[in-house]
Parts: sequence; C-alpha cells; structure tokens
Amino acid sequence: MAKFSYFITVRLIDVVKPFLPILPEVELPYEKIEFDDRVVYTIFSGLIYLFAQFPLAGIPKDLESNVKDPIYFLRGVFAAEPKTILEFGIFPVIASPLLLQLMAGLRIIKVNFKIQQDRELFQSLTKLFAIFQYIILSNVFIFSGYYGDSLTIAQIFLLNIQLVGAGIFVTLMCEVVDKGFGFTSGAMVINTAVIATNLVADTFGISQITIDTEGHQEPQGSLINLLQGVRAKHKTFVGAIVNAFNRDYLPNLTTTCVVVAIAMAIGYIQNIRIEVPVRSTRARGMNNVYPIRLLHVGSLSVLFSYVCLFYIHILGFILIQLIGKNNADSLICKVLGHYEIVNNILYVPTFPLSSLAPPKSLFGGILEQPISFIAYPLFIVITGIWFACNWQAISGQSARDIAKDFKDQGITLTGRREQNISKELNKIVPVASTTGAAILAAITVLGELLGLKGKAAGMVIGIAGGYSILEIVTLDYQQNGSGSNLGQVLSGQFAL
Amino acid sequence: MAGEKSENNQIEKLMDAPVEFFKDGKQFLSKCKKPTGSEYSKIIRAVGFGFIAVGVIGYAIKLIHIPIRYVIV
Repeated sequence: MAKFSYFITVRLIDVVKPFLPILPEVELPYEKIEFDDRVVYTIFSGLIYLFAQFPLAGIPKDLESNVKDPIYFLRGVFAAEPKTILEFGIFPVIASPLLLQLMAGLRIIKVNFKIQQDRELFQSLTKLFAIFQYIILSNVFIFSGYYGDSLTIAQIFLLNIQLVGAGIFVTLMCEVVDKGFGFTSGAMVINTAVIATNLVADTFGISQITIDTEGHQEPQGSLINLLQGVRAKHKTFVGAIVNAFNRDYLPNLTTTCVVVAIAMAIGYIQNIRIEVPVRSTRARGMNNVYPIRLLHVGSLSVLFSYVCLFYIHILGFILIQLIGKNNADSLICKVLGHYEIVNNILYVPTFPLSSLAPPKSLFGGILEQPISFIAYPLFIVITGIWFACNWQAISGQSARDIAKDFKDQGITLTGRREQNISKELNKIVPVASTTGAAILAAITVLGELLGLKGKAAGMVIGIAGGYSILEIVTLDYQQNGSGSNLGQVLSGQFAL
Repeated sequence: MAGEKSENNQIEKLMDAPVEFFKDGKQFLSKCKKPTGSEYSKIIRAVGFGFIAVGVIGYAIKLIHIPIRYVIV
C-alpha cells in the first residue's frame, strides 16, 4: 500500500517535467523591489485585468443561443465576465493552488517542501493545472453551444486561442505579483479590484441600458437610477422610488444597501481578535500582546466553498448540457434536473441541482425551491468549516508555526513555559479559524439567500482581500517606506 | 442490542457536534477583543476610501471599453 501511494506521488509531480521547457516562468526579482514599485505593480495588475476583459471576437454580435449562462451566481466571486475573453475569470488561478496545497497538506500528494526541486515542480504543477482547467472549461463552453450552435472549425480554434491565451496571461500576471513584485497574492489583488469596480458600476454606473420594447432606458447604477427616475417625465415620483428599490433586471438600491451592510459587517469582524499576553525572553519587563484574529484563515474558506460549488455546477453543466442536451425527458436530466432560461440571459437549474444554487430572489425562492434554503447554507457552512479546520494546520500559520516564530523572535507567552507555547496556542488557533469561517459562511449565506446572485460572497471576499492588502501595504510602508514618494503624497489620507 | 446502542451513541455524538461547536465559538467570541468605535470608523474609512478609489478607476477603464467594443465586434 505504501509502495503504491509512493508510486502515485512520483507520477503526479513528474507529470510536469515534460512541460517544463515550454511552461513560461516568471523570474524572482534579482534585487529588492522598492515600496513604490511594488504598489504600482499591485495596482496595475488589477487594472490590467480590468482592461483585459475584451469581448470575444469570432462569435456573431447578436448571438441568440439556446444555451445561457449556467454559472451566473459564481461569477462575482471569480471576477468572471460573461462573453469576454475572461469568461472564467481567475477561477483556475484560485482553484489550482488551493486544491493542490490542500492535497499536499493532507498528504494525498506527497511533496517535500524542504527540497528546492520539489518546490519548483510543485509550483509548475500548480500552474499547469490552472492552464489545463482553462483549456477544459473553454472547450466545455464551446461545445455546449454557449457561443452558438454551428461553429466552424476556424471559429472554435479562434475561441480557444482567445480563452486559453487570456487564461495563460492572467496566470502569469498573478505569478508576477505572487513572486514578490507586488503585495499579497495576484488572485486577491485582481479579485478586490474587480469587485470594487463592480460595486461602483452597480451603484454609480452611468451607462444607459435599454430595458423595454418602447425604448425606455435606465442607467446601470442603482443610485443614478433613483436620481434619474425622480426627474424622468414618464414616471411618477413614488413610482420612481419604488422602481429604484425593486427593479430586478438591473442592480437596485436594496441590493446596494445589503452589499454595503455586508461590507460594514466584514470590516467589523476582521478586527475581532484575541490578544495573547507575551513577554520577551531576552529583556526583562518587555510585555506586549500578540493578536490572533478571528478570521485566521481569512476569506479563503468562502473561496474554497465556492470553488467546490463551481466544480459541482460545471460538472452538472457538462452532464446535462453536453451529454443530456438539456432535454427534460432524458435520463440524466431526470436524475440531475435541467436548466430553465430566465430573463433570457440566465440558465437556472431545476431540482435537484438547484438545491446547491442560491435562489434568484428571496420570496420567489421560498416558494419554488425551498430545499435550497437548507442544502445551500449547509453546504457553504460545512465546507467552510472543514476547510478552515484543515487549512489552519497546514498553511504555515498553525499553532506550531506561530510558536516557532515566537522562539525565533525571542518572545514567549506570559506565565507559560516555553515548551508549552505550541500546546497553549493550539487551544486558540483552531477554534478561531473554524468560528471565523462559520461566521463568514453565515454572512455569505444570509446575503445570497436575499437573492444577491453571488454579490454577497463577492463582497465578503473583496472586503476581506482589500483589508489584507491595505494591512500588508501599511506594514511594509512602516518598515521600508521611508523614501517613498507615494507615501508623502498619501500621508494625509491614511493615518493608520 | 449492543450494536444498536453504539449506533444511538454515534447519532447522539453527531447531534452534539454542532452544539459543542456553537458553544466553543460563543465562548471564544466572548473572550475576544472587539474593535472600539474610533478604531472601527478609521478602518471603514481607510478600506472604504481605497475600495471606492480603485472602483472608480476600474469603472473609468470599463467605460473606455464601450467604444472598443464597437471597433472590435
């Protein structure tokens, strides 16, 4: 048995070896990157991503496909924009390291992180897996008929080039940030930038969109819609206000309020921490506190839940659309459910696949898919807690790692023996991680059940990401930012 | 009979797990330090400012996209 598992591990890492010569690789920075440069790298990778959301070329402009968007409620979490070259956003970039590191941590694939060659192979494996997922996802969507039924070979080729090319580009851009040119991780930066942009677009967006056959137009932004509606001649004053809070074809003010409330809640929870009293082992009388925060694993637990959801729904889409042709009479569709077209853009699954999808709206959902209100929250909460429980032990922030950090820095817990630090911390860290994950999951679920279609989960991840980026930038600024020009410009703004 | 009993025990354990988890979490939360009002408003201001600033720049970039769309497609 041991021999067998050894055999498998060798193979999984070695799968990358033949690809190594053609797999592009970002070099580690030769010298230390200046603070200002790192800020620029960080912000621009987010902005380049936004700019890169080009519409797909090679599909007819007024495409009337029967296959609509099956993953609409997952797009907000993975910065995926429909019918652009970034159709799948950064899903593979997030999913690949998350899953592989989890598997390595749980010893499903064996990697010795102490050996440099193993580390490099593992990193390449992560990248290869991400690109592989882009290829698979692209072709699933192409052959499902999402881009039209009768595509020529040239069109299929062109779509593949665009979707996979953009995927490789994004993978590499994330690597640039990850390897120390920017702050935190590339996926987090991109996610935060896109979610911030979507929030602004949904609230203050001024682009006019035709909403009915009479040619009436309404702006995308909910707040702008309120202002414009009050002044519009074809609406009554009260009608305009009701419409601003109630419209379901474009972002409404109710959604905006819920999203802002979620943001405020996350900001508060981010700061809940337990302060462990510590003292220096080198100097007498040096007492301090070491904070262990409630969100010890950050928003990764929610991301993991959504990665699982994404896989389930893509698998469902493959089975129902590619194999079952979305024909309600076929066997697969009888077992798994089929898709129904809603608002002419969404592909909403029916029972039983629907039980793992958040409802489109609160009241409609209670009547039509009551099981979603049990199954979906349970799924998010349980996967979140399971992930947090495992991740805190393997991510380099476990009680053992913190104890080692303490030893290196010459500090110890007040009133405890040095040998017991790890044990003592082990009483705090796992509870913090799982409780934090449960609370985050609860907030996400609460928002999603109100019918936010992925915006609630997006906001949870966006604010948590924005907070961590800001925190790390501030920390780095205090340490290395003395000669920073940016710091002088902004010194009035951030008095953290 | 014995098997039935252990099964019952297992189910009981399974039912207890969430209750236990909830209790632990509640106890943990009561020990935690919550942010004070001024701390909180400072954080909200800093994160909010950054978020909106990035969002506005991002939206400006998306607006550039609208004419590009007409050129490409």
